[in-house]
Amino acid sequence: MAKITIDGKEWEFEEGMNLFEACTIARGGEKLPHFCYHPGLPVVGVCRMCQVEIEGVPKLQIACNSTVRDGMVVHTRTERVQNTVRQILGFHLLHHPVDCPICDQVGECALQNQYMKYGLYEADIEVGDKLAKRKVQLIGPLVMLDAERCVLCARCTRFTHHLTKTDEMGIFNRGDHSEIGVAPGLTLDNDYSLNVVDICPVGALTSRDFRFEKRVYWLKNTESVCPGCATGCNMIIGHSGGRLYRQQPRENLQVNDYWMCDHGRLLYHSVQGDDRLLEPKIKEGGEQAPVGWDHLWNQLKERVEALGEEGNLVLVGSPHATLEELYAFKSLLQDAVGGSVLGHRLTGSEMDRADEFLLSADRTPNDTGARLLGYADFSAQDLAAAASKKTLLVILQNDLASFDPAAAEAIEGYGLVAYVGCRENATSGLADFVLAGRSYAEKEGTIVNKDQRAQTLHKAIDGPVQSEEDWFLIARMGELFGHAPSWRAQHDLSSELSARIPEFAAIAGGIPKEGVSLAQGAGVEEVERG
Amino acid sequence: MSDYPKILLDNVGVPDSHTLSVYRSRGGYAAAEKALKSMKAEEVVSVVKESGLRGRGGAGFPTGVKWGFVPKDSKKPVYLLVNADESEPGTFKDRDILDYDPHKMIEGIIISSYAVNCHEAFIYIRGEYGWLVDRVQQAVDEAYQANLLGKDILGSGYDLEVIVHKGAGAYICGEETGLINSLEGKKGQPRIKPPFPAVVGFLDSPTVVNNVETLASVPWIIQNGADAYRSIGTEKSPGTKLFSLSGPVKRPGVYEVPLGLPLRELIFGQEFGQGMLPGIELKACIPGGSSVPVLNAEETMAAMLDYESLSQLGTMLGSGGCIVIGDDAKMPELLKVVLQFYHHESCGQCTPCREGTGWLDMILKRMLEGQGRPKDLDLIERLCGNMMGTTICVLSDAAVMPARSFISKFRDEFEALLPKGEEPEDFVPTARAAEDRG
Repeated sequence: MAKITIDGKEWEFEEGMNLFEACTIARGGEKLPHFCYHPGLPVVGVCRMCQVEIEGVPKLQIACNSTVRDGMVVHTRTERVQNTVRQILGFHLLHHPVDCPICDQVGECALQNQYMKYGLYEADIEVGDKLAKRKVQLIGPLVMLDAERCVLCARCTRFTHHLTKTDEMGIFNRGDHSEIGVAPGLTLDNDYSLNVVDICPVGALTSRDFRFEKRVYWLKNTESVCPGCATGCNMIIGHSGGRLYRQQPRENLQVNDYWMCDHGRLLYHSVQGDDRLLEPKIKEGGEQAPVGWDHLWNQLKERVEALGEEGNLVLVGSPHATLEELYAFKSLLQDAVGGSVLGHRLTGSEMDRADEFLLSADRTPNDTGARLLGYADFSAQDLAAAASKKTLLVILQNDLASFDPAAAEAIEGYGLVAYVGCRENATSGLADFVLAGRSYAEKEGTIVNKDQRAQTLHKAIDGPVQSEEDWFLIARMGELFGHAPSWRAQHDLSSELSARIPEFAAIAGGIPKEGVSLAQGAGVEEVERG
Repeated sequence: MSDYPKILLDNVGVPDSHTLSVYRSRGGYAAAEKALKSMKAEEVVSVVKESGLRGRGGAGFPTGVKWGFVPKDSKKPVYLLVNADESEPGTFKDRDILDYDPHKMIEGIIISSYAVNCHEAFIYIRGEYGWLVDRVQQAVDEAYQANLLGKDILGSGYDLEVIVHKGAGAYICGEETGLINSLEGKKGQPRIKPPFPAVVGFLDSPTVVNNVETLASVPWIIQNGADAYRSIGTEKSPGTKLFSLSGPVKRPGVYEVPLGLPLRELIFGQEFGQGMLPGIELKACIPGGSSVPVLNAEETMAAMLDYESLSQLGTMLGSGGCIVIGDDAKMPELLKVVLQFYHHESCGQCTPCREGTGWLDMILKRMLEGQGRPKDLDLIERLCGNMMGTTICVLSDAAVMPARSFISKFRDEFEALLPKGEEPEDFVPTARAAEDRG
């Protein structure tokens, strides 16, 4: 450990720790002014903003390329530092078009924020002397480049070089003609292209998906986890007025560092797409038609009773459902009511290519959790074998029919089919009863990623008015069969399952922001990802 | 002033001095043989350290000390990179060595590589010196044929490969880490330090970057000893140095002088510049290449050409690019040329330099066009203050030093370009037609 003094106060840090990070801690979380420094990228030290005074060193030094040494005395707020930072900021803003009114970055722009904090000077340059660079350049299917706003911090180029290793982007030309762009003949078209938009400190790189949709300061942010694959990247859902606008990665060094793939980010469209199930439906005369919930429950009760004494219940879970939903499904409808769970996943379904970065081959969020709860794979044959005209098949959030035509055929063999989920699909189309549930952004719940890390989905928005949370629908179904559950809320389920099932003991006290590992022997000494 | 030995230019003027046979006939490669066969690497380092030889590329860092930074127990190979990217305006001294005496440099490379345990050296020649690339390559080929390079040099058991590399013509590739990046095939932009090249340099290995003139001084030092070298020049600036004399003097050219020579001797001495052209009076002089602060006539007449004396006058010896300025020259116009150069050559990674060099150039341009504003000189001073020492390399400083010194020493010429009177209180920058700022 090294003793160092920052702004008059003594601190102890690891010898060799990055001075920028040490200053952030010493300044109570307030980062030094910066554009180019990013903890997930190698240091380039080009923006020159994070200048600090180190006693005994004549020149000001940039903190990002300095390390903590024992006995160091550092000043971050002296007049000399402030003046230098102000002037360097002036260089950054020199040719900037200051087109904030039409810029998406407003509200989260480092230039804007730092000007308000360290700048506030009169411009020294005439508007006509500003260098005009190219605006509105489509550099990829999801990313738009405005070279005029760029401060050449090289974050995007470092990201495409060091993280995706795809090298589409570069800084071309030199001196004040330097411009970022994509190499001739290339497009910024990789699975992680939108990360450059997040790390761009200014409005140079904007998301074509989010562009002009919403001022960021109107967005409410909800911390959640991406349900797009078994990695479970931590994310922030930006929403407003019951609509989702964007998903961005949230730092978690145990899972996704600072990054997230484009597939995951764009998943939010599925929540509010055309195929969204907005209300319950019943199939009558071969056609599904919207009904009220009371009507649906009455009808379901009648049709179940019509199956008579021989009537039975077959249950299909899903690797998309949360732990709580899967627990409710199994403990109530199987253990109490007496149905039988076939499994949670058609063998081999929903697998795709994986990459070496974040994307997992398993494109479901909670396969691990389902298996820990005792769910297993099943086949279309299993589904067919269990079919009878006296059987009610309840499918929870599982689009079996799309994955395997044989499964679709097997479903037809059941007397009654109820589908619980939030999207219309091939499977819901086969159902006699469609119970409109909630999407990942509209409910609380726990999912377990491929590394056995339990993480929490948080509710960002209310679902469609005529939809219900899935656990509640399961509870109602139990009541239908005469078994009212003991739980009255989603969190009752979390406590019950963590109390009853030893594998989930770790989540009993609630799950911290960064998740918690369920792996045997995991705990304090978790290995940090590289 | 002819009582000093010529160390660097002794072969210049001899017919075919660039060939191996002529170089050898004049005692060439004896120092290399001496070093390889009778000296340990550490001995070579300590002789050079004792000689007080300082880097001749501009920074003046002691060469032996630089070599001493190379880790002794490195598992990675050590590289020697020869900086022949001579691009500082007013500097054309290395050119003479490359052109007339390439073997002197090669001999220096052999001895220096041996000293730092390097077995692969690169000669990085600026692209504009295209014809010299061939000349140096020819000399390298000759040296290979004579077993002065390659395996088991002169039966000493020491191996050394030398590769000649042609740059693409960027000033910044003369900065040692810019050179390393360029040689690696990357954009020629200086690297952030630490780490320093002596530890993590070319291909992430320990690397020494030395200037052509520095290396060409080494054979003489090895042959004649550190004391002999120290007997030339001043105590703190020993040895001889090449100066490229340009401007309105009667005899411009490259001269080898003992350090400590009066600058007026270089300009007016019969052996050197022989004075100003008829009708032109001395007005100023830039002693060390365009990036160092200018001296006015009075200072020029008083200056001595060594590191310490020039530093006392607030300027530097730099690369020895001595630019004489006559009274027919207008300082703002000269400064425009200098600033335009640094604007053009800024690599663009650090913001203060990228934007500052262009801004300075732009302000001076508008002043020269009669569009100056009353506060422009203050603005320049403020910009300079924030460009100095705030960047990765010193290109930014190199633009600031002439700008500041030109304006402070010849302020009336600059003020004459500006409108009189104060700026109105409510001055608001107005849009005017965007134009090509060159």
